[in-house]
Amino acid sequence: MTNSIPEFEDAKCVLITGSNTSEAHPMIGTRIMRAKEKGAQVIVVDPRTTQMSMMADLHLKQQPGTDVAWLNGVMQVIISEGLADQEFIKERTEGYEDLEAAVEKYTPEYVEEISGIPAEQLRQAAKMYAEAERASIVYAMGITQHTSGVDNVLSCANLAMLTGNVGRPSTGVNPLRGQNNVQGACDLGGLPNVYPGYQSVADPEVNHKFEEAWETELPDEVGLTVVEMVELAGTGEVKAMYVMGENPLVADADINHARESMKNLDFLVVQDLFLSETAEIADVVLPAASYAEKSGTFTATDRRVQLVHPAIDPVGESKPDWEIIQLLAEKMDAPGFDFASPEEIMDEIAALTPIYGGFSHKRLSNGNVLHWPCLSEDHPGTPYLHKGTFSRGLGKFHGIDFTEPAESTDETYPLILTTGRIMFHFHTGTMSRRSEKLNQEVSEAYVEMHPKDAEQIGLNGEKKVKVSSRRGEIKLAARVTDRIKPGVVFIPFHFAEAAANALTNSAFDPIAKIPEYKVCAVRVEAV
Amino acid sequence: MIQEIRDLVSEKLKKLDGVVALRKTDQGTAPTLFQEGDDVSQLVLEPRYPVAKTVSKLQKRFKDAKFGVVARGCDTRALVEMVKRHQIDPDRLYIVGMACSEEQAETCYCAEPAPDLDPWPEADLVGDPVPGAPPNPMVAEYENLSREERWDFWNQQFTKCIKCYGCRDICPVCFCDACSLEDPLWVEPGLLVPDFPMYHLIKAMHMTTRCVACRQCETACPAGIPLTVLYDLIRKDVGNLIGYIPGADADSGPPLSLTLADAPIDSELAK
Repeated sequence: MTNSIPEFEDAKCVLITGSNTSEAHPMIGTRIMRAKEKGAQVIVVDPRTTQMSMMADLHLKQQPGTDVAWLNGVMQVIISEGLADQEFIKERTEGYEDLEAAVEKYTPEYVEEISGIPAEQLRQAAKMYAEAERASIVYAMGITQHTSGVDNVLSCANLAMLTGNVGRPSTGVNPLRGQNNVQGACDLGGLPNVYPGYQSVADPEVNHKFEEAWETELPDEVGLTVVEMVELAGTGEVKAMYVMGENPLVADADINHARESMKNLDFLVVQDLFLSETAEIADVVLPAASYAEKSGTFTATDRRVQLVHPAIDPVGESKPDWEIIQLLAEKMDAPGFDFASPEEIMDEIAALTPIYGGFSHKRLSNGNVLHWPCLSEDHPGTPYLHKGTFSRGLGKFHGIDFTEPAESTDETYPLILTTGRIMFHFHTGTMSRRSEKLNQEVSEAYVEMHPKDAEQIGLNGEKKVKVSSRRGEIKLAARVTDRIKPGVVFIPFHFAEAAANALTNSAFDPIAKIPEYKVCAVRVEAV
Repeated sequence: MIQEIRDLVSEKLKKLDGVVALRKTDQGTAPTLFQEGDDVSQLVLEPRYPVAKTVSKLQKRFKDAKFGVVARGCDTRALVEMVKRHQIDPDRLYIVGMACSEEQAETCYCAEPAPDLDPWPEADLVGDPVPGAPPNPMVAEYENLSREERWDFWNQQFTKCIKCYGCRDICPVCFCDACSLEDPLWVEPGLLVPDFPMYHLIKAMHMTTRCVACRQCETACPAGIPLTVLYDLIRKDVGNLIGYIPGADADSGPPLSLTLADAPIDSELAK
C-alpha cells in the first residue's frame, strides 16, 4: 500500500475494486465504514454484492476481466470533463500523452458494451472519485489475478496520478495483501529476482554486498516464480521443492495439473502447522510452530512492522521456521546461520536492507509500530509513500489497451467462474477448517449463482450441482442468490474436497506470472 | 491510587490464592492471576477490561481456592449478576473496589461509577467515589425517532456487523455454554451480513435483566455499532416495567430466571 491503514478513516472518497474488504480484510473494512460515517463517498466495483457494496454510494457490477476497460472509461470521463489534476501531471509525471491517447476511445458508452457497467454510473463514479479532496483506491486479488493483472494495476496507478491522489495522507493506490506477513515475505527476498529490500540480484554491486556479508558465492540470475517451478517440476527440470506455509495443491490454479507436476518431483519437503493436502504427497514433513508459539515480526499490508511474542511454547515436535532452517543449514554444513534469536536475525536484516535499516526488536517493543522505508535508528518510518517525488523521480503514465481474458465462454461452458474468499475461512482452510466454530458457520463448498442461471438448468432451491471447466469438475451445493450477476458464478476456494482450483485456468500474466483465478469458463449442471 | 492498590494486593496475596487484575509488560496488557511473589509493579488499571467471567472460570476450575479481584463499579455489578446466576461464589472472593475518575465516568456515561461493596463479605475501597455522569445523549435523540426511522437506524448500524461475536465474548454476564447466536434454529450460520434483526436482537433480549451498563460490548465492537443505545433502553424498560436494575441489588433474584425452574443455566456452583 502507498498509504497506511489508519489513513482510510480520513479519506473523502474510497474506490474499492476486486476486494471483498469486510470479509477478507475486516479491520480495513471497518476503517472504510468509519470514513463513510464521517461523510466519505464509497464506490465499489465488483461483479458481486458484498457487505461493502451494500453500504456503498455506488456499486458498479463489471463483467469479470474487463477492469482495464472501465478504469480507462473513468479516466476518459475525468479528462473530457476537465477534472484531471493538471498541476500534478505537469510537476510530478511523464507520459501523459500516451495515457490521453490510449483512453480516448473508452467513452462510457463503449465501456458499457465491454463491461456491462451502465454509462451513467461510470460517469458518476468518475466524478465522485475525481472531485474528492482525498481519494483512495483499494484493490486486492480481483485486480491482480488476471492475465491482464499488471495492466490492471498500472491502470489504478494511472487513475491516482491523473487526479493527484498520490503522495498525500488518505489517498494512494492500496493493494490489500492477504496473509499477515505476505508483505514481509516479499520485502525480505521471497521473490525470485530480488534480495531483501527489493535489491536486484542482477545488480553486481548488490550481489557483491551480499556475497561479502554471507561469505559465499551467489548467483546473479533471476530464479523461478511459483508458476514456473510447478511447470518445470512437471517436465522434470525442477527435481526438488521445499514448500513452507503454503498449500499449492489447493491454492494453485488448475490443481489437477499442479498435482501431476509435483508428483513428478524426486523430493518434496513441506513445512507446515498441519498435514495439508500438499504435505500428504511430501517425502518429508517438517512441523512448524504457529504465530502464538514464536517471536519475530510480521509486516502488514501497509508496510507496518509489528513484533509478536510467544504466548505458549511450540507444541509437540514443532519449531519456529527460523530454527528449522538453521538446523537444516547445520546438517548441510552451511555457514552463516548461527543466530541465537529472531532479534539477531532482525539486526542482520537491518544491516543489509536499507528500507528496514532502522528496525530492531528494541525499537519495536512495547507495541511500537513502524512503516518502511525506515532508513536509520532515528528515522520515524514512512506511513505514506511518494511525498514530493516517486522512487523513479517522475511518475510514469502507461497508455494501456483492454485485452480479453484468456478464456471466453461458449456453448459448452456458458458461464464465467470467479473465485474468492469468505469471512469464515482462511485461504486453503489448512487452519480455519480445523476450527469447530468456523466450520459451524460454513462447513462445505458452494457455488453462488443467479436465479436466472439456476432456472436455465432447471434448478429449484438449494441442490447439489456439478461444475465443470476444460480442466476438471467438482460437485458442490448451489446457493441461488441475486448477490451475483447473471452469467457469472462464484466459488470460494477454501474447500479441498470441492476445490474451485480444479476448474481455474493457469494462464498467467506475462510479467507478474500470476494466474487468472478470477475468470474461466464453466458449465453448471444439476445432479 | 495505583500504588495503594498494588500495596493492598501485595498484602492480600499472602493469604489469598491469587488476585485477578490487569498486568502490563513490554508484550502488552492482559488480565492475569497475580500470585504471591509476582511483580505487582506490573499491575495496571487501564485499559478498562471486564473481569467477572475470568473470576467465574477460575472459581470453577479451582473449587477450593479463594481469589481476589480488582474491580470497578461496572465489574462489581457484573459480579453481582453472576452470583445470582450461580456463576460466582461470593464467599470465595475478595474485592479491591476501585473508584473510577470523573473523566472515566463521563466517557462511559456511567450512573454508578463507584463499586458497591455492601453485598460482599470481604472488600476494600480504594479512591474517592465521584457522582454519576449524565446519560448518553444518543439515547434521547433516538427516542425522538419514529418507528420507521428507528428501523432504518438499526438496519444501517447492523449492516456494519462482521459477525465477530466480540460483543458476546467481552460481555461480563454472557456465560452460557450453548449460545443461541450459534444455533442454526435461530440464526442462519455463515452469513455476512448476519441475519438482521435476529442475530442482534437475540443478544439484546438475552441482556434483559442482565445488562449492567458496562459498555464493554460497544468498546469492543470493531464496526462501531452503538449497541448500548439499545441496551440502555432495555435497562430503562426493565426498570419501569418490573422495577429491576441489574447489578444494583444483591438480594433480589434475576426476575426472568426465577420463573423458569428448569432454566438451562449451568448450576455447577449451586450444587
